[in-house]
Amino acid sequence: MKIKNLIQFSCLLIVIPLLSGCWDQLYLDQRAFVIAIGLDKSEEENTVKITYLISNPELSKQEGGASNEPNSEIITFNTPDLITSKNIANTVVAKAVSYNILSVILISEELAEDENFIRLMYDIAKDREVTKAIPFIVTKESTSKFLNENQPKLETRIHKYFELILQHGSENGYIPKTNLQTYFRISEQDGDLFLAPYATTEESDEEKNPEGEENLIAGEMQVEGKTNKTQFLGSAIFKEGKMIGKLTAEENRAAVLLNDTIDMEEILTTYTDPFNEKYRIGVRVMKKENNKVKMNLKKGIPTIDVTIPLYIDILSNHNMTDYSNSNNRETLKNHIKNEATRKIEKVVKKSQEEFKGDPFGWSLIARKQFMTIPEYEAFNWMESYPKMRVKINVEIVLGKFGRQDELPHLEEMRD
Amino acid sequence: MEKTHGKIGTKEFIALIMLTVGTKLADSTPSILYESLGNAAWLGMAIICILSILPLYFLTKLITHFEEKNLIDITKLLFGRYIGFIVLFILWILQFHSLISSSAVYVDIIGSMYFTKTPIFIIYIVLMGVAAYGAKKGIESIGSTAWITLPWIKISLLIVLVITFFQGESNFMFPILGPGEMEILKEGTMNASIFAEFFFIALLATNVKNKRVYKKGVWVAFIFVSIEFILAFISYVMLFDYEGVKLINYPYHETIRYIQIGFIKNVESLFFPFWLVASYIRFAVGLYISALLFGSLFKVKQFEYIVPAISTIVIFLGLIPEAPVFSLSYFRVIFLYIVTPIILILPFLLWATAIIKGEFKK
Repeated sequence: MKIKNLIQFSCLLIVIPLLSGCWDQLYLDQRAFVIAIGLDKSEEENTVKITYLISNPELSKQEGGASNEPNSEIITFNTPDLITSKNIANTVVAKAVSYNILSVILISEELAEDENFIRLMYDIAKDREVTKAIPFIVTKESTSKFLNENQPKLETRIHKYFELILQHGSENGYIPKTNLQTYFRISEQDGDLFLAPYATTEESDEEKNPEGEENLIAGEMQVEGKTNKTQFLGSAIFKEGKMIGKLTAEENRAAVLLNDTIDMEEILTTYTDPFNEKYRIGVRVMKKENNKVKMNLKKGIPTIDVTIPLYIDILSNHNMTDYSNSNNRETLKNHIKNEATRKIEKVVKKSQEEFKGDPFGWSLIARKQFMTIPEYEAFNWMESYPKMRVKINVEIVLGKFGRQDELPHLEEMRD
Repeated sequence: MEKTHGKIGTKEFIALIMLTVGTKLADSTPSILYESLGNAAWLGMAIICILSILPLYFLTKLITHFEEKNLIDITKLLFGRYIGFIVLFILWILQFHSLISSSAVYVDIIGSMYFTKTPIFIIYIVLMGVAAYGAKKGIESIGSTAWITLPWIKISLLIVLVITFFQGESNFMFPILGPGEMEILKEGTMNASIFAEFFFIALLATNVKNKRVYKKGVWVAFIFVSIEFILAFISYVMLFDYEGVKLINYPYHETIRYIQIGFIKNVESLFFPFWLVASYIRFAVGLYISALLFGSLFKVKQFEYIVPAISTIVIFLGLIPEAPVFSLSYFRVIFLYIVTPIILILPFLLWATAIIKGEFKK
């Protein structure tokens, strides 16, 4: 009996080597893992310039790091599509190119504005290795330049760098949190506009917009010191799969606040102090519940009524106002409410007049007004949106006033 | 050891039905409904569930009435030798056809989503080889394998559904009626044969311990599978929206490719093995039923020995279609339209004949 068991067990052991398969075997050290793909417009027609950022897996080995190899390699060439390029790359790269751990796709602004750009994107839907959950970035310059210039100083593991900068940028609303699946979905349904993070390594020479420290787009932020030149700020806006414009960081924050399908954690921002024009109040803005959107699409001019519930914590108070007084709190509340409403209304107006479409995901809410798809499609949301009357209503709930909520009276102190 | 005499109990029977029918929500079946109904496919599915209740009721009533008889014996008894033979032969053709086309779809899924470089022929041999081995072992082995693996397979499905419900967008379900209520009714009725397996399960009636177990098993499994299907149909829409879901061939596999569990990405290889085991069981049952029917038609007593031959024929016929993605889905749609009236009407006909012949009075 024992011998029989032993034989059976050893038969099982023999099966184990077969588990790796025969044709689809994959040796980790014989693969070149592409971390980022960059796509640029090529001079020739019907081809695209592709840039691969291939990471060096040796870098992840924390110990015994005797290897002098660089952490990544970048190659750029012309290719007809995204899948045959894997073979073309092998003329330079010794290992077989794999998209298995592709973590970001970069598109240059020039290519994104091209009519035929969306055809290229559908290559990704056909490839077996790529998941549609990967993020998507639009760069101001060509992506080959972007990838070459982008030299993160502290996060040298490049896939981690992209993951972290996109995560933190989208948590505070400077860039939208999106992925390829959302791009396909929004382009297919033809109702809303798609927002993609916007980034650059080029510093802009243009005069800064004086209106506020947030009214910037990638490249306009002045950073001094020894650091990476790359900036992620603002968003590129896509209509029917094609890029049509840009939003600054502040506009992007407003759009993200209006759009319940884009996740956001908390925004740190400032508003002018209602008690003294000189100062600005630092606040933390949080959205704990979804917006209440009411629509009336059936008769007359269609109207949208949006109520945005915001929770606000006060972080700085340079005027040293005494907020234990409820009248002061009321003034502050109304002031922030008006200022936030004004900012948001500006973005809505811009979307109606300039982009002729909404990046706020409202077509999804509008669908609830219809019983069937043919009815909804007959309404033609994209066409109707620019003519709609949109009412923005911000509801403010004041939360914490910092760890030390009361401040001394400065006049008395200096007396 | 307890002797079972080639019969299975409630647990095994339920597990067997749930895996044979439940696996269909993870192949190309959903895309057939999505193609025409978009986001209202789950309503179409609900219609199918409701429509299936009545034929299933007649069928179980018949089966439970004749103790010691399965659907083959009952058909022969009620329709006479000649008509009975023709009806059973048509059933066998249909079942064999669905075995070929669905196995070809499964091979296409494995080939295009997971093992792109492996030749189709090899995948087919492995899939049918394992299934044939199971079918050859007999219904007890299939039943107990199904029961052992059922919890794990269903837990993996549950995890996928829960994650999808969290990562999906509930607004995608609107406009609630999709292409309109008439379209839903029409498509739901025409595709009612998605649950055709329940009909073929009746052929196994004598392999179940007794008819009370059979009745209980069928209804419990039916309720489970209906809920499972409707939830899965909703969850795919919540992830891909109605335009996107129409373009996808295999929604379940796109789903497990898309979702993330916390920081873990590329989770498809975590769920794929469970699906694979479920598919093996599904085809083992398919082959077993096919051999059983064939055996009874042509008086082969030891019908288990036909299984290897049938599976070889399945492999060679399944390899014929060119561009399987398109041709197979086209085949399946046509097939469903043809089978639906048979599945819906036959139980009623059998029941009516039984009444006319006065069988119930005996």
